Amino acid sequence: MNPKRLLSITRAGIMESLQFRLGIFVTLFANLIYLVLVYYLWKAIYDSSGTDVVNGMTFSDTMIYLILATALFNFLEMFVVWDMSRKIQSGSLVLDLLKPMRFRKYTFWSYTGNHVVQFVLTFIPTFIVVMIVTHGAIPLGLNLVWFLIATVFALIINYNIEMLVAPICLFTESTWGINIVKETIVLLLSGASIPLAFFPEKARIVVQYLPFRAVYDIPLSILLDKSGSDNWQGLLQLFGLQLVWLVVLTAAGNLFWNCAVKKVTVNGG
Amino acid sequence: MRKRGLRFYARMYRKILVQDLKSKMSYRADFVISTFGMIMTNLSGFVTFMILFQNFPTINGWDYHHMLFLYGFSLVALTPVQCFFDNNWNLRFMVQSGDFIKYCFRPVNVFFYFISEVFDVKGLGQLAFGIGTIVYAWIKIGIPVTPLIILKLIVFLLTASLFMIALMNFAAATCFWIKGSGYVMVIMFRFKDFAKYPSSIFEGIFKIIFTFIIPIAFIAYYPSLVILTPDNVPLLSWISPLYGFVFVFLSYKFWMLGVRKYDFTGS
Repeated sequence: MNPKRLLSITRAGIMESLQFRLGIFVTLFANLIYLVLVYYLWKAIYDSSGTDVVNGMTFSDTMIYLILATALFNFLEMFVVWDMSRKIQSGSLVLDLLKPMRFRKYTFWSYTGNHVVQFVLTFIPTFIVVMIVTHGAIPLGLNLVWFLIATVFALIINYNIEMLVAPICLFTESTWGINIVKETIVLLLSGASIPLAFFPEKARIVVQYLPFRAVYDIPLSILLDKSGSDNWQGLLQLFGLQLVWLVVLTAAGNLFWNCAVKKVTVNGG
Repeated sequence: MRKRGLRFYARMYRKILVQDLKSKMSYRADFVISTFGMIMTNLSGFVTFMILFQNFPTINGWDYHHMLFLYGFSLVALTPVQCFFDNNWNLRFMVQSGDFIKYCFRPVNVFFYFISEVFDVKGLGQLAFGIGTIVYAWIKIGIPVTPLIILKLIVFLLTASLFMIALMNFAAATCFWIKGSGYVMVIMFRFKDFAKYPSSIFEGIFKIIFTFIIPIAFIAYYPSLVILTPDNVPLLSWISPLYGFVFVFLSYKFWMLGVRKYDFTGS
């Protein structure tokens, strides 16, 4: 497959998400209000704790972590499960399957367009705001490069988790249920709703090796120079974990999709 | 068009409800998974709560059991919006695809017809969770059980539920004006997670915003104070029923304004 064709799918994705410009502004605004809520909650929590550092996280560490986790969440969010179930219902899934390209590949690249738009429009502004508000608490250096690489890995892992979950809809005809289970597990175990550093010791050891951590916690830790990512050894460990899960999940996703697609029953269309 | 009485609408709601339940029953796997999903979200909420309290024993002067009460209160208060107003989530797809026009052709209230179409059974799981939490916290705090307090609890739970209904109506109706506004609903729905914290954490201008404009403080905090601090109930708690009705009424008007504005996007 030549890259030019892939990029043209991505470009179509970009144009599709830029279609609703007003929607994007509203999204940005709503997000800002959400961040204010997060800020006040954690400020109150730290104020009543009496100490400045809890589990190695100061208030500003926690804030930066959670704000960027939210931004990363918006950036990584995919509606594969919803889209697939709607495509099954309307029957247009068949058209996608007939395209002269592997379905998984096609879906991935068409979502990439949306990711690019979200990254530029939500992640980068949030990042800049955080930089200004915290007077440069985020170290700027090689970690930015590592962060970008880790984010690309996270993106692929996230996509594969989605693609492992979405075909279940083919069997169960349940969308909301499947999606909420997936989202709950990912948000809790990836550290997006509460930093992993706050988890009880035993739970943290388990969670540390699960793939969900690779989606939010690892890129953020690398960006903030935490979890031993400030030296080569630690960095390699984090990337190693991401890579292992990336390979495992891609293989599993491929296998599962190939099985599932044979079972597709589409009503009309 | 002739004005229809409340009795007419009650009868119709029952009929639509039965149809909806019948069609739900035909997707049994979906029902089981959705219920499981609902339990999962509630469990994960509890886990987050536990982790938080393990690290920080009090939040803004509120101890564990009082916070638990507030949490249970918010869960119960959020049940009506989950059970009865779930169809708001489908609004934007209907509007975008043009299917929404079917609701405009019936000789009944458009809002009523649209909302009545879906009853969400899995919300009942959340109700059970919430009631369990309230009872547990109630016993631990040692609030006396008298008929008057129970009555107050029910009245203020219903009051509290009005605010989230109104918020979701507002959020859903934005899709009449803004295409691609789905995220507004998602984020509004996520705001509810903050209802379980005392709103005394907000300061300055945001205290006003989160009390009156996006009334997160009313989803659980102010109504629950009637039960939790009976000697020292702020004025806002007492006027919350009135404010709740006003808010729901405004959201209804806004929604209907959207309907009037609605024209086909075509499909």
